[in-house]
Amino acid sequence: MGRQRIALLAGGFLIATSGFALGHHSFAMFDQENPVELDGTVQEFKFTSPHTFIILQVKDKDGAVTTWSLEGQSPSALVRDGWSSKTIKAGDELRLTISPLRSGAPGGAWTTNKIKFRDGSPVVVSH
Amino acid sequence: MFDRSIASVVLAAALIAAIGGAQAHDDSKYPNWKGQWIRVGGGQGAPWDPGKPWGRGQEAPLTGEYQAIFEANLADQAAGGQGTDPTYRCIPSGMPRIMIAVQPMEIVVTPETTYVMLELFTTLRRIFTDGRAWPAEIEPSFAGYSIGTWEDTDGDGRYDTLVVETRGLKGPRTYDSSGLPFHKDGQTVIKERISLDRANPAVLQNEVTTIDNALTRPWTVKRSYRRVPREPPVWSEYICSEDNRHVLIGNENYVVSGDGLLMPVRKGQPPPDLRHFQSQK
Repeated sequence: MGRQRIALLAGGFLIATSGFALGHHSFAMFDQENPVELDGTVQEFKFTSPHTFIILQVKDKDGAVTTWSLEGQSPSALVRDGWSSKTIKAGDELRLTISPLRSGAPGGAWTTNKIKFRDGSPVVVSH
Repeated sequence: MFDRSIASVVLAAALIAAIGGAQAHDDSKYPNWKGQWIRVGGGQGAPWDPGKPWGRGQEAPLTGEYQAIFEANLADQAAGGQGTDPTYRCIPSGMPRIMIAVQPMEIVVTPETTYVMLELFTTLRRIFTDGRAWPAEIEPSFAGYSIGTWEDTDGDGRYDTLVVETRGLKGPRTYDSSGLPFHKDGQTVIKERISLDRANPAVLQNEVTTIDNALTRPWTVKRSYRRVPREPPVWSEYICSEDNRHVLIGNENYVVSGDGLLMPVRKGQPPPDLRHFQSQK
């Protein structure tokens, strides 16, 4: 039961240890000062170059579903964080904090330190 | 039968000669740069100078003309665009940006050529150390044409420093994702001094000096890389066109949504110009 929780979290960058290090393009297209929290169901985990993507189905309080395109680091960077193409799969329920596209369209960027399963368990234990 | 025996002997002799040639590469003359290397420092956004913040914080010595280009680029990025950074279109980082080593690299030293193989954009650099002169003409490329010489700076009889000059660079390129620009004339010259940290052989240092007509003076940056301790190292494939979701149409860039349609990257961004579809009606 995904639900969108657009929580305007306190300002400040999502730097931390797993902050953006996007070799492929500038991260400035994502609004890091206004992160958004999403609960949703994985439609697809794309373990692809130049960036991985989580395609996430998110329901709002009225039951309408929005498909979010959420950009992660490259497969190489995720592997160094203990991930693989099988770490998450279609149907998994996730809760993550993203930096949304500045346009307001349903897209954004996620980092490995801001993602959990919806029950609160870590996606990768070693992280 | 006899001819076949002779052929076997000739083949064996050729193989022995080839192996002998390969063994002529004296490892003891060259530093041990084996393994997997990845950048040290830089953090957020992987800036060109890892000791300074991304963007204006780099304090790049740009000319007034190119500072203005850089500022316009920053304004576009702040609105959601990509500014002058071309890599979102899978245009490779090129030199010297690729030597940030956001993703791992491997260095293979041979007497004639040192190969720098970088995972990002599947980039291969060839640094020729065979004593050749600069070609009369160089066809520009993103990695450029590199000539190197080995130095034994401490006189211990073993080379420790590779001194490299790279010319013949193609654009568009930027120093990093902040869009710091190079001059459009393609006359950039990059000089590198690569050596192991004497106090820590698990760290490789690279002093990189850029000479470019968009700069008021040569710009020197010290980068370093750590040897990844994992054995065997894990190497990943990087095929940028596999699932690049950025689309440039006219002068506008968009991204592909989760349902396969175009999304804007900036507030109020106009949709693509569809006149050629409308004219078919």
